[in-house]
Amino acid sequence: MAAELVRLTIDGRSVQVPKGTGLVETAMAAGIEIPVFCYEPRLGPAVGACRMCLCDVEGMPKPQAACTMTAQDGMVVGTALSSPKAAEAQRATLEFILVNHPLDCPVCDKGGECPLQDLTFRYGAGNTRMTFPKRTFDKPIPISPLIALDRERCILCYRCTRFSEGVAEDGQLIARNRGSQSQIATFGDEPYRAPFSGNVVELCPVGALTSTKYRFEARPWEIQDSPSICGMCPVGCNIHVTTREGKVKRIVSRNHHEVDRGWLCDKGRFAYSHLDAADRLADPLLRVRRRGFEELSWERAVDEAERMLRAAGSRIVTVLSGSETVELAYGLGKLLRRGLGAHAAMLPEEIDIPLEAFRLPLCAIAEAEVVVVLGDEPVVERAPIVDLWIKEARRNGAEVLYELDEERVRGVTRAILVWSGPGGAEVAALAQRLGLADKEGSGAFYLPATANGRGVADAWAAAADGEVENPDPIGLLIVSGDEAASDPNVRALAERAEHVIAIAMFRTVVGDWADLVLPGTSYLERDGAYVNLEGRLQRLRRATIPPAPDELAWIAKLAERFDVELSPHPSLVFAELAEIAYGGLPFGEVGERASLPPPAPGPAPGARPIDSSQQVVARDAGEGLRLVRYRPLFSGPAVERVPELQFQRPQPEVELSAADAAARGIGAGDEVTVRSNGTSVSLRARLSRELAPGVVRVARDHAGDLEPRVEVSRG
Amino acid sequence: MIGPPTAGTPVSARPLAEMIVEIASHYPESRSAVLPALRLAQERYGWLPPEAFREVGEALGQTPAYCEAVASFYDMFHLKPVGRHLVEVCTNISCALVGAQQVLEAFESELGCRAGETSDDGEVTLSTVECLGGCGWATIVAVDHRYRERIKPEDVPAIVEELRGGD
Amino acid sequence: MATDARQLVLADAGSRDLTKLAEYEAVGGYQALARARAMPPQAVIDELIASELRGRGGAFFSTGRKWSFVPKPEQNPNPHYLVVNADESEPGSFKDNEILARVPHRFFEGCLITAHAIESTHVFVYIRGEYLGPFEVLRAALDEIGARQDILGEVTILLHRGAGAYICGEETALLESLEGKRGQPRTKPPFPAIQGLYASPTVVNNVETMATVPPILELGAAEYGKLGVKDSIGTRVVSVSGNVVNSGNFEIENGVTTLRELIDDLGGGIADGRELKAVIPGGSSTVILRADEIDVGYDFDSLLKLDTAMGSAGVIALDDRCCMVQLGVRVSEFYEHESCGKCTPCREGTRWMTAILRRLEAGDAIQSELDLLLSVCDRINGKCLCPLGETAAVAVASYVDKFRAEFQAHVDGGGCPFGDDSPLHGVVAPVAQHTLRRTAEAPA
Repeated sequence: MAAELVRLTIDGRSVQVPKGTGLVETAMAAGIEIPVFCYEPRLGPAVGACRMCLCDVEGMPKPQAACTMTAQDGMVVGTALSSPKAAEAQRATLEFILVNHPLDCPVCDKGGECPLQDLTFRYGAGNTRMTFPKRTFDKPIPISPLIALDRERCILCYRCTRFSEGVAEDGQLIARNRGSQSQIATFGDEPYRAPFSGNVVELCPVGALTSTKYRFEARPWEIQDSPSICGMCPVGCNIHVTTREGKVKRIVSRNHHEVDRGWLCDKGRFAYSHLDAADRLADPLLRVRRRGFEELSWERAVDEAERMLRAAGSRIVTVLSGSETVELAYGLGKLLRRGLGAHAAMLPEEIDIPLEAFRLPLCAIAEAEVVVVLGDEPVVERAPIVDLWIKEARRNGAEVLYELDEERVRGVTRAILVWSGPGGAEVAALAQRLGLADKEGSGAFYLPATANGRGVADAWAAAADGEVENPDPIGLLIVSGDEAASDPNVRALAERAEHVIAIAMFRTVVGDWADLVLPGTSYLERDGAYVNLEGRLQRLRRATIPPAPDELAWIAKLAERFDVELSPHPSLVFAELAEIAYGGLPFGEVGERASLPPPAPGPAPGARPIDSSQQVVARDAGEGLRLVRYRPLFSGPAVERVPELQFQRPQPEVELSAADAAARGIGAGDEVTVRSNGTSVSLRARLSRELAPGVVRVARDHAGDLEPRVEVSRG
Repeated sequence: MIGPPTAGTPVSARPLAEMIVEIASHYPESRSAVLPALRLAQERYGWLPPEAFREVGEALGQTPAYCEAVASFYDMFHLKPVGRHLVEVCTNISCALVGAQQVLEAFESELGCRAGETSDDGEVTLSTVECLGGCGWATIVAVDHRYRERIKPEDVPAIVEELRGGD
Repeated sequence: MATDARQLVLADAGSRDLTKLAEYEAVGGYQALARARAMPPQAVIDELIASELRGRGGAFFSTGRKWSFVPKPEQNPNPHYLVVNADESEPGSFKDNEILARVPHRFFEGCLITAHAIESTHVFVYIRGEYLGPFEVLRAALDEIGARQDILGEVTILLHRGAGAYICGEETALLESLEGKRGQPRTKPPFPAIQGLYASPTVVNNVETMATVPPILELGAAEYGKLGVKDSIGTRVVSVSGNVVNSGNFEIENGVTTLRELIDDLGGGIADGRELKAVIPGGSSTVILRADEIDVGYDFDSLLKLDTAMGSAGVIALDDRCCMVQLGVRVSEFYEHESCGKCTPCREGTRWMTAILRRLEAGDAIQSELDLLLSVCDRINGKCLCPLGETAAVAVASYVDKFRAEFQAHVDGGGCPFGDDSPLHGVVAPVAQHTLRRTAEAPA
């Protein structure tokens, strides 16, 4: 259905746009810039606060805020380019904005990439008429370990508070006081503690909100931005990795409107300094009897690895983290499966969930009429951006259900199922039963526990040339990645293996249980591709050189020794893999903002089950409440190595539904005891509307030895 | 058909949260009860300490930060402790024209504190306020929110005496 | 000599205690409501349009037309709301205070008639938090009619107290505040009639407007139309204050009584044997008049010819001791204090105005700063989100315009020629005091 078009005139130029287009966008379509500060369509309806966009609209006596107007047929608009009235209004606004702004651009982190600086350069008066002292505040105020606030620079555009209230809905960042004493603040001295807090740094059009980690680290003209993908969760937010002299200095968003809309979570934005962790491994380590670990050269390390592989033959089990690129997983798979017949591999969870028929871009959630969230784990902890999409859906009028109501789902056209938690095997069957494949705008998502678990599973499967057999005993356990290496189950497995090779970034993660430790790399240091939870293949770019060769380089060397042909170059490995798994898609065509393949009728080729260590939580009815013990967003080897993120780690809380709390006389914030057979933990109660009755949630960090069935009581 | 509780009525022993929830039930959306709830909390605490924002927020499903954002916008909410009594002198045009500044100064000298401060004994907080809507009966002084009309500097000692002597 | 003989809004309030339901009914109270309810809603709206009643809050917009903008229930099934603006806070205006305190039932009767006309069953009265006395009168009156189904009908009236913010007198800020938010104005459109309280169709009317509705229905539009002058039909309760002998509220016929009569006759002239110097005709937001400009009818058109307005009908007389720069400082301080902080020109501009005016008063300003003051006013005017900043700029600019020589004397003489002879000398304003509500980070 084509939208009705309207024709209007801006600065004498005739322009045609769909009716309802904002005036700022309409001007842009005519090649005219209307400067703005407060206007940011992603934050909801325009507020018309900063007055920078004042325009002269024919028939209106006063200048009008373009951001609050939409294109009407026959409208005649003059911007500062052609209308003296608009130009004067704009000069007036800019003068008022600058009257209390410190103009400390030389020492401001925003300098060089600051909208206020740019617009002052373009439209400013060049002199000041002010004759009194500027407003001063204490500065900078750390509103959290991650963000510094300079109230003198703040121009009170309210972008940050609108984000906090209307997008993240965390209600933490506020405007306090009134009039010229208004200031941005948090409650009391409490930090801005919310998973998406860092977005306010990017939204700030001046240097008022800056990243404590980036402060004074670089000038904009000294930096390079590499377009890449975040590797911290299965959403795969599009990012720019900013480096200066080869060091990663910050991560900023790179708006993919279907995936992330330009928002990032704080883990994705701030965890990059794990690259420089004190225990980062640069050289291979070999355990030498009675002498502990010794560093050894890469040549010797490859020799040692070859020796261990030959000794174990097909009795190898590979544990993957799900953070490998598809090229790395395929390379490792090809070496082990084709070179040694070692087919057994493990991922952190069941990944074979055929949702291709229900495929949708994440942005479709915002348009849904009903969103059903199942799987029991908090969405924000598994795939944070999905939580923002669900919030947007709710604001748009969608009903968000945490228990399945089939009638409700069948009653609407656009229904979306989101499975957040293990055991997602059900989700495809459920989506099928609800007929979600047949309705446009309906679909289903599974939120995996790992960033590229899907891609890794597909790539491992693509390398197959034989059937999986679980070896017993295990001759060699290969542990790929720090996530896998820090899993206690994997360590237990290592105890049973004759030998262990660990590929890891951090020394303390591998402890003393590996025989050979090969330094690993981060997603920020790799070229390659990830498949996100939508099924979208996205491209990682190496933003910085790792301290050790990347995995594919030495895997290729090893492959040679087993007569397996494997390129050390991700692009060539991808080409080979793409022939098998991605319909021959050329590496170059993945693009900077990757597109989503259309829904496919069946499982994608190559997606075959692989062994899973996941123990699906027993869902049988029992006494008491079912405990969901989840891995919090702010956890894991990378987060543990970023001191500024520690305040974001989960509070000692138990999340209950209002009904369960009421039945037990528990109020929000009460101290409660969570008990299971023989063990108990004291936690604070948090009431949640995002939880089905009968279920309680505790972050893994605070769940102690609790068993799957618990009882909760006050005190 | 209700109105939020009147200032000056005896502070109820009922839990604050319960009273707030009841007030909220009279509005189509519970957030509308933020102002009356903050007023209740202030009646209970004398001012709005952080606990008040937590309690009000909890009862209405808002964050404490949100409640503080709202409270700090309005002049009648105290984000710092105040004296047991509040003396507010209007110094807007009409009152100023007939001598409000002299009335204010009389209070300052009688109480031994400046506008915006609390007397040393913690009894009385003195403040100037913008137009109270009693310009025809200037100077208006609101004593514990009750308007006193046509106040002259010579009336001030008796008012202070009353506040210090009374209950 | 003018008197306030013809009273509609305050009729009988002088001789009887109309806060009592029985007394009000004894003078025919709530009969207009019965008459209105016997009419179809549209007929009531038509009657109001015919009466040419214009809103008494300050904008002077046709009340009947405002009601007619509300979609019919079949066009918009959301609840319709009547919100009464009882947030009277304009310096110089205290008429609503007295109306609420003396004729609460006439006020409620107007509310109920309006609710019938716009087919609403929800009335919110947003009364400024400081009006504790009038609030208690309203409560008591509401308790009385609460027991009377014949009066209240299906309508719920909720009294909602503000908490001290002048800006909440602006209708969209009031709606924000009523929704439990910071009282910052919204952009218009959408207008409240389409998307007001809780995004539903809403009429926002002033207290006096409501109290004028019952007499209009009693008299009929034709009879009511005989009062006042063209474009300013009817009566108006005018607040007179400042340096007059007899300050207070007077109900006058619009345009029939002159501004000079308001001051000299009703107000009893200037006190202490002083001379009249200037008049603020419609609350602090209006353009000031010199003493020689006030021989005009107190009505919309006559004042418009003088580039000023009746505003909220707050007449402030200033005698010859008053320094106009000091007036500027005090008025600017008021608007700086009351600026909501949302839009840039008002937030920054009012503060800048105050700073320049203080330098002028102290004798520190150089010649160019006098022009700068006017330039800042000009740069605020027309650029703001709501009228607050604009009126501040226009009002202060008018002091310079009308009393330029006095401002010039401050520059030339390096100080104030009036000094502490002026009652406005050294007045401490809330914005200048270390206020209680400010938090630690704010400067003293």
